[in-house]
Amino acid sequence: MSNSAIDVPSRGGFSFDLCRRNDMLAKKGVNLPSFRKTGTTIVGLIFQDGVILGADTRATEGPIVCDKNCEKIHYMAPNIYCCGAGTAADTEAVTDMVSSQLQLHRYHTGRESRVVTALTLLKKHLFNYQGYVQAALVLGGVDCTGPHLHTIYPHGSTDTLPFATMGSGSLAAMAMFESKYKEGLTKDEGIQLVVDAICSGIFNDLGSGSNVDVCVITKGHKEYLRNHLLPNPRTFVNAKGYSFPKKTEVLLTKITPLRERVEVVEGGDAMEE
Amino acid sequence: MGDSQYSFSLTTFSPSGKLVQIEHALTAVGSGQTSLGIKASNGVVIATEKKLPSILVDESSVHKIQSLTPNIGVVYSGMGPDFRVLVRKSRKQAEQYHRLYKEPIPVTQLVRETAAVMQEFTQSGGVRPFGVSLLVAGYDDKGPQLYQVDPSGSYFSWKASAMGKNVSNAKTFLEKRYVEEMELDDAVHTAILTLKEGFEGQISEKNIEIGIIGEKKEFRQVALFIFPLCVSA
Repeated sequence: MSNSAIDVPSRGGFSFDLCRRNDMLAKKGVNLPSFRKTGTTIVGLIFQDGVILGADTRATEGPIVCDKNCEKIHYMAPNIYCCGAGTAADTEAVTDMVSSQLQLHRYHTGRESRVVTALTLLKKHLFNYQGYVQAALVLGGVDCTGPHLHTIYPHGSTDTLPFATMGSGSLAAMAMFESKYKEGLTKDEGIQLVVDAICSGIFNDLGSGSNVDVCVITKGHKEYLRNHLLPNPRTFVNAKGYSFPKKTEVLLTKITPLRERVEVVEGGDAMEE
Repeated sequence: MGDSQYSFSLTTFSPSGKLVQIEHALTAVGSGQTSLGIKASNGVVIATEKKLPSILVDESSVHKIQSLTPNIGVVYSGMGPDFRVLVRKSRKQAEQYHRLYKEPIPVTQLVRETAAVMQEFTQSGGVRPFGVSLLVAGYDDKGPQLYQVDPSGSYFSWKASAMGKNVSNAKTFLEKRYVEEMELDDAVHTAILTLKEGFEGQISEKNIEIGIIGEKKEFRQVALFIFPLCVSA
């Protein structure tokens, strides 16, 4: 323990000090609040001109849907995007941090960021935290060496694949990919396949739902199609609206304007420099 | 800062109340290559001489004008290596600001933080002040802005300014030529003419650097094919 007035945090790594306390509390029946997780179906595939990423938009806190339209496709660089599954705070913080690091790297080198750079920065960070940062990511982008697609697991391992799925809906989405994927898809075929895969996750997995987001990245160009498909609209909306009968009668209305408490004196002495 | 044997500051007051090291740093700046900046009504231009020590140096590898963020650029007079260090620190600070507040850093904030770094080096153990003065040009919500930052850490906002070898002539020239409602193109023209005033030898697009930022808020180096048109006068 340092004696200085400023509390210096210990250098590097996660501080596990409170884990013993949490275990002790859990034994006594006091559990941690459940995390906001992105139940999720996220997918990516490589088509003839680049990479297409897709994601659903449901965020859950245990059995409750806490966000019906969240954004799971995160910006990393102008030519690289990353879908995130797992704990929402972790995916957002980690992609934000690496995006910042990539920006600084771009300034120093004067070049476009490479997907493998983002991959290495992410996996280093996740491995450092030994899986406690629960972020499962699908990273895709197009750089000077071509289109790339990778998956990154919370413990820090990575795969390089032509098509990938992650999240609780990954099996439903992978079933679609395995039966319909082929090399050299066109952009429209690719988008349709991604949409099919995400819809499969939306309808067959409880942790995924609401809308489909798609992101198409090609050499020198990207299209972020937010809410590309809305397969779950609110169908029965009462056109008349809801009117609630008044219960409390108003007997008296009295308005008292607030008086100024402070007197403002214009043109006082200027502060000395 | 503050290794064991040098926990005392090397920049100490003289009996007359001056910080001699900073004065010397300003002398170092004053013997550096001329650089200048002009704030127009719709943008800012910064320019510098790029005199290389020999014709064998690959001039495309030398970048005296750098961008700190997409909408803020900087040029210097003085010691190049010190400039590189400051640029690196400033970029990192701009990025950290963006991470925290999710907005691009305002020009004044970045200038303030860079100046704070420069001041640190005048009051820490075992280090010397930076031997550069910076001209920071940016365009944010408050419009076009031009700031000069000195080795002491003090900063000033200018409508037009110059630093380096030819500072007095350049400033006189700018005072005569500066007009309040100047547009960016005129400002670029004026900048090139000001550089030409004190230039030793033949001025050409290979031995000057110009950076501009306009209403689109994108700092970039000017492709100098416009150069011959400007310097026919």
